[in-house]
Amino acid sequence: MSKKLLFLIIVIFLVILSGCWSRTELNELAIVSALAIDKVDDQYLLTVQVLNVSEIAGDTASTRVAVSTFQEVGDSIFEAIRKLAKLSPRRLYFAHLRLIVFSEQVAKEGIQKPIELFSRDHEFRTDFFLVVSKEKNAKSIIEILTAVDKIPAAKIFNTIEVSEKVWAPTKGVHLDVLLSKITAKGDNPVLTGVLAKGNLKEGGRLENVEAVPSPTTIELDHLAVFKGDKLVGWLNEKESKGYNYINDNVKGTVGTIECEGGNFTVEVINTKTDRKVTVNQGKPKISINIEVEVSIAEVQCDENIIEEEKFDQLEKKLEEVTVDILEEGIMCAKKMESDIFGFGETIHKKEPKLWNKLKDNWDEQGFIDLEVEFKANISIRRTGTIQKPYTEK
Amino acid sequence: MKKLTEWVKEVKQQKLNKEEKTPQIDLNSPTEDDSIIFSSLKENLDKVRNDLGGSQDVIIREFAFGEDGTKKIAILYTDGLVNSAIVQELILKTLMVDIRVAHLKGENLQQTTLEILEKHSLTGGEMKKVSDLKAVKHDILSGDTVILIDGEKEGFTVGTKGWEHRGVEEPSSQTVVRGPKEGFNEMLRTNTALIRRKIKSPNLWIEQMKIGRESQTDVAILYMNGIANKEIVDEVKSRLKRIDVDGIFESGNIEEFIQDEIYTPFPTIYNTERPDAVASGLLEGRVAIIVDGTPFVLLAPAIFVQFMQSSEDYYQRADISTALRILRYTAFMLALLVPSAYIAVTTFHQEMLPTTLLISLAAQREGVPFPAVVEALLMEITFEILREAGIRMPRAIGSAISIVGALVLGQAAVEAGIVSSVMVIIVSITAISSFVIPEYNLAISIRLLRFVFMILAATFGLFGIIIGLIFLVTHLTSLRSFGVPYLSTFAPLNSDDQGDAILRLPQWANFSRPRLISKGNSSRGKTPAPEPPSPSQGKKQDEELSE
Repeated sequence: MSKKLLFLIIVIFLVILSGCWSRTELNELAIVSALAIDKVDDQYLLTVQVLNVSEIAGDTASTRVAVSTFQEVGDSIFEAIRKLAKLSPRRLYFAHLRLIVFSEQVAKEGIQKPIELFSRDHEFRTDFFLVVSKEKNAKSIIEILTAVDKIPAAKIFNTIEVSEKVWAPTKGVHLDVLLSKITAKGDNPVLTGVLAKGNLKEGGRLENVEAVPSPTTIELDHLAVFKGDKLVGWLNEKESKGYNYINDNVKGTVGTIECEGGNFTVEVINTKTDRKVTVNQGKPKISINIEVEVSIAEVQCDENIIEEEKFDQLEKKLEEVTVDILEEGIMCAKKMESDIFGFGETIHKKEPKLWNKLKDNWDEQGFIDLEVEFKANISIRRTGTIQKPYTEK
Repeated sequence: MKKLTEWVKEVKQQKLNKEEKTPQIDLNSPTEDDSIIFSSLKENLDKVRNDLGGSQDVIIREFAFGEDGTKKIAILYTDGLVNSAIVQELILKTLMVDIRVAHLKGENLQQTTLEILEKHSLTGGEMKKVSDLKAVKHDILSGDTVILIDGEKEGFTVGTKGWEHRGVEEPSSQTVVRGPKEGFNEMLRTNTALIRRKIKSPNLWIEQMKIGRESQTDVAILYMNGIANKEIVDEVKSRLKRIDVDGIFESGNIEEFIQDEIYTPFPTIYNTERPDAVASGLLEGRVAIIVDGTPFVLLAPAIFVQFMQSSEDYYQRADISTALRILRYTAFMLALLVPSAYIAVTTFHQEMLPTTLLISLAAQREGVPFPAVVEALLMEITFEILREAGIRMPRAIGSAISIVGALVLGQAAVEAGIVSSVMVIIVSITAISSFVIPEYNLAISIRLLRFVFMILAATFGLFGIIIGLIFLVTHLTSLRSFGVPYLSTFAPLNSDDQGDAILRLPQWANFSRPRLISKGNSSRGKTPAPEPPSPSQGKKQDEELSE
């Protein structure tokens, strides 16, 4: 009996004395939705976007804003985060972070050092997107109020997720992918570009979301090309599209070709890209084969082209356009001397012996000399709900 | 620590000493002069009167009978416990009127008065001789009528029980939509009859005993001879015989004396108001214990899955019953874990929630003065108070409680900002889930354990909940009900019994009785699965119809 009593007392003391270790109530947390990293002199300027939860989900409407930002400088990111305690009334909580923004300057100097914390610290999850702010400061991106989505970070996050599915030039990058691409020798990362437009000073005021067209907006730009962890340049829309096609990232998008009297537009509903490595006289060659299924979306042509005999012709034209997009993507990357397509890794996996010879000078030499061959196969599957275009003469 | 244990020992010793000192009066042990019926009627009656303290409800009617009216005779019964019509018609009338006309003429005079009465005169069906005063007193107080004759050392007991009681009504605790609507009542005889009406087999054996020094409560043990495990039947009997207490008024009193494990919140004996549940339990090899004076009949051995089943499961379609059972297990987990999971997730693991949910929870907690655990305990305890009030209070003020409960607690507490509205949702879902559990006493254990889990969640988060669950499962596995493992069909895993645990297979697929309960005799029947008629048969029928 006394043993049982002892056990009971120990259990009770265990519960009472350990008392809620590391407990935090929800109303003691400042949920950080976005984080921007700029550089001031040699120090990092860290800006965090914190949610005002009762403005977002509370039932009493007020005239206060949905998010607030705090900023602080520090020698390291973590130091800056801790310094923010001077500004924030609550503990900063990073598990629900949606977005990390780098300024172009930080990106050019290399992002490997600033992102170390995010993979080491346990509170950060890896499901946020990393983006580069084009032209403007990183902090200006997270200081703009947005319509529809009350949380600006969620707005950017959702925009990336949605447009990845329907618009080929967009690509969102998570931390795990970024790290593996930085560390791989035969692969380089890209990051999403984000562009703030309009009067940045007014963008943080409530008036920005009180007007129907918001005077200050945030939109997705095209992809930022990195070499290792350093920003080396930007792709344009067509090149971004080429990048995503080659890496088999496209889930759906739009394609346009010219025809007599206007444009002929198709919706891409399914794509699949394969790559093969062949070695010819000690030189690698990559063949890319892309299969695309499209359905006809919009026809502005003068003649009726919705006839089966003419489909072959249309498909051929579309194939030419596609190959052109792919080629342009490669050309641009070669100009920047950055293998963002991971061709090096492909060779590494398929021809490891050959890779050993090439790897030391891959981006500067091997990638630029690499011969890439394209083959596109496009098939039109559906014509939409009408047959003949109205514009037929 | 040492001091504490010493102190505990000391207190115990003191208690023991005290018990030894107080003289125990055993009211039941027969004294010398109690056992025999004196041949003098007057002495007998005086003794009975004296022993019963002259209680006014015991009627002693003395009169003379016989042709010449010299033989003195007395009948004794308790007013209110007897059917007075029977006493009037069968006994008083026989002894005072008919007997003079019929039997005391010439030819019968060789026989003793006793024999004449027994063989020719008394028309009662249930009749036996008594030869000691202890039995006489007991019979009187049980509602029978005793006849004592001057000069005889034996008397008669005539069965005249008949008192006011509730009829067979619909059970109030385990209601069904489809299924028999009759329930047990407070009469032992009615209850055994209700079961006999369902099982007419001669193998349904009923053994009866009396428990309780003072209450002398009739307790019947029912089992199917040949199906029930003999060892379990013997064990039930021996445990019942061990009971030595002054009064038994409900089967719950007995349940506490005969259960296997004392330190557990879980019920290890099943109780029911439904004759159909008892009958099917008997056919599964269980032993039923009926206690006079209560409609709740015990069934043992009982296993955990039984408490999650309703009689209706067997009257509905199998697929629907299975779905409902899964629903009940879900509700069981909800009732046990929802408040603790809420506490754990919102105070320790905010990263587990989707961002939008976290934001809306955080927005509701904005301005709430208490930590989540205090808030949860506050609301849960308030709800338990409301529920208890709802059961105990007089019926007439029921609506007042529900208005106060719903309005004051649900609405006003949230509007005042004392609790968050999500807490109200959580308390409601927990409460409703706990009502889904078909057996009330399992639902109570869950109510109790919920608080343990809430405290664990508040101190250790999800880790604490998992530790608690491990302890819970270990504890459940350690329980036995009359030797049968409480979690049986799962632990130990028994593939034969899975057809009637979480699943409820169709009756034709479910041939076996629970293996651990009905040892050796587990075949229920051989009905094949119903089949649609073959095409050729169908054709034949068509032809017949066309003719």
